[in-house]
Amino acid sequence: MPDAEATSGRAARLPSERGEPAEITVDGRPVGCFAGETVATAMLAAGVPAFSHRNGEPRIPLCNMGTCFECGVTVDGVPLTRSCLTTVRDGMRVETSER
Amino acid sequence: MTAAHDLVVVGAGPAGAAAALAAADAGLDVLVVDEQRAAGGQIFRTTPPEFGGRRKLPTGYPWAGELLDRARSHPGIAWRHGATVFGILPVAVDAAAGADASAGPGSAGFDVLTSDPADPARSGRVRARRVLIASGAYDMPVAIPGWTLPGVMMAGAVQGFLKSQRLRVADRVVLAGSHPLLLIVADQLLAAGARIEEVAIARGLPSPVELLRALPAVPGHVRLLGELAGCVLRLLRAGVRISTGTVPTEVLGDGRVQGVRLARADRGWRQTGPARTVDADALVLGYGFHPSTELARQLGCGLDWDSAQGGWIVRHDAQLETTVAGVHVAGEPSGVAGAEQSRAEGELAGLTIAAALGRPVPERALAGARRRIRSASRFSGVVQRMFAPRREALLELATPATEICRCETVTRGTIDGFLDENPFAGTADAVKLACRSGMGPCQGRYCESAVAGLVAKARGTGVGQAGRFAAHIPVKPVPLQAYVALADDPPAL
Repeated sequence: MPDAEATSGRAARLPSERGEPAEITVDGRPVGCFAGETVATAMLAAGVPAFSHRNGEPRIPLCNMGTCFECGVTVDGVPLTRSCLTTVRDGMRVETSER
Repeated sequence: MTAAHDLVVVGAGPAGAAAALAAADAGLDVLVVDEQRAAGGQIFRTTPPEFGGRRKLPTGYPWAGELLDRARSHPGIAWRHGATVFGILPVAVDAAAGADASAGPGSAGFDVLTSDPADPARSGRVRARRVLIASGAYDMPVAIPGWTLPGVMMAGAVQGFLKSQRLRVADRVVLAGSHPLLLIVADQLLAAGARIEEVAIARGLPSPVELLRALPAVPGHVRLLGELAGCVLRLLRAGVRISTGTVPTEVLGDGRVQGVRLARADRGWRQTGPARTVDADALVLGYGFHPSTELARQLGCGLDWDSAQGGWIVRHDAQLETTVAGVHVAGEPSGVAGAEQSRAEGELAGLTIAAALGRPVPERALAGARRRIRSASRFSGVVQRMFAPRREALLELATPATEICRCETVTRGTIDGFLDENPFAGTADAVKLACRSGMGPCQGRYCESAVAGLVAKARGTGVGQAGRFAAHIPVKPVPLQAYVALADDPPAL
């Protein structure tokens, strides 16, 4: 049961039962997470500052329910995958979009 | 992959689950398609099974657990979770053997086009004799300067992360809005250890007249009101500043939210005084909800503008059938009214569809569903009146440099400039074609109301007259594999 991670004002996991530890890569860097988490959760908890860019501006999730597409990332080669609707899988390759 | 069902329900929230259960109980073969991993919709999102632990549902809806359990275990209901319906097509009458060629579109059923990114082999079309749109609602967008900065999130988003992922999105939070959900989210953030820097409510406190009007709506909804009162009490006890008559005028920060500017507003929510800065890592917006109506638009269903009910809502008859025969609607797309009414509408829609397809449906079951809709609508009507967003005032929070369309980064200045130079452009769609606002991945969901508001303001008409964006297939961006899957021949109905 991991503790809430203090991450200087950013997102933090609450003390709670979670799934088995897993690891994904985000832009090639390993990001630890837990089975059952969404890719969006894993990225927010890791402090990823931008999921996508619009005209150079950083964006992170706005709606967390699949409508805004601001959390769209490339997952295992599939672009514009909504990270808020995608569950992590060990070894998943995630790339943020640089537009 | 292809299959045929009596009914395909889009959305597994209270409306979709109740409709599926009622229809399946009456003997129909039902498929429910939903983007989330589990049934329940946004309101009943819970932690994933991998987390273990017990399911926690909101206390205000004592029927939720049984509804979801019964629906999930019903042999007459198939579920496709994690899939997106990106279009619905009436089956061509001459393509369906035995169909009455004199009947209108939809008389031969529908092809429901689905995309399943996690399992592309399951993408494709599913044939249905009837379809029910129970696609719910999403947080109403409000364009303010700086609202594209990372750290600005919708109330539903923040609550979803807490409820289903046990994630607190930030440490120091300002919440701004007008919908009761805002107070519930503030309370949940507080319990999760966040520092609530301020809750800025646009409206004033309810007047005695409003409260008197609300009284007849209370019976049967005591738990909901009690829950809300408990939230306010806990926030005040924790020393949280709850400001009424206050609106956010700007989000500050370099690369992420670092502060929020708040200002006093009059009864019409227009800024009256100078703004002050509150330091924060996140701004949570909760001004209400817009129904998700894109599938109804794509199908050509009639819609009506009703601001208090959430904006564009799907026109329907007393049996919840839309203006396109065979296409039904339940829950928020018929007018945002909350989970209680959604469930009752789903039940009526499911029963009505079963009856239309020749299954015996007792009159008392229909009467019961109608009674529950009436009871729920007394409450939802009061909520709608008390918390109706002042859209014109909210629109004025956007300055010329504010991005109205987040996807295509189109500013208010660009749109106002186009409207100035083109005096005969009088619709939201005209602005979309000229300025690209509404052409990005969200397909206009987060800019349509502001674009229409700017058109209405420039032309001296109403938002309803400025119209809405058209919706086409795909109503949401889907991978190419989803189209490849459409090449399969669908089976005869």
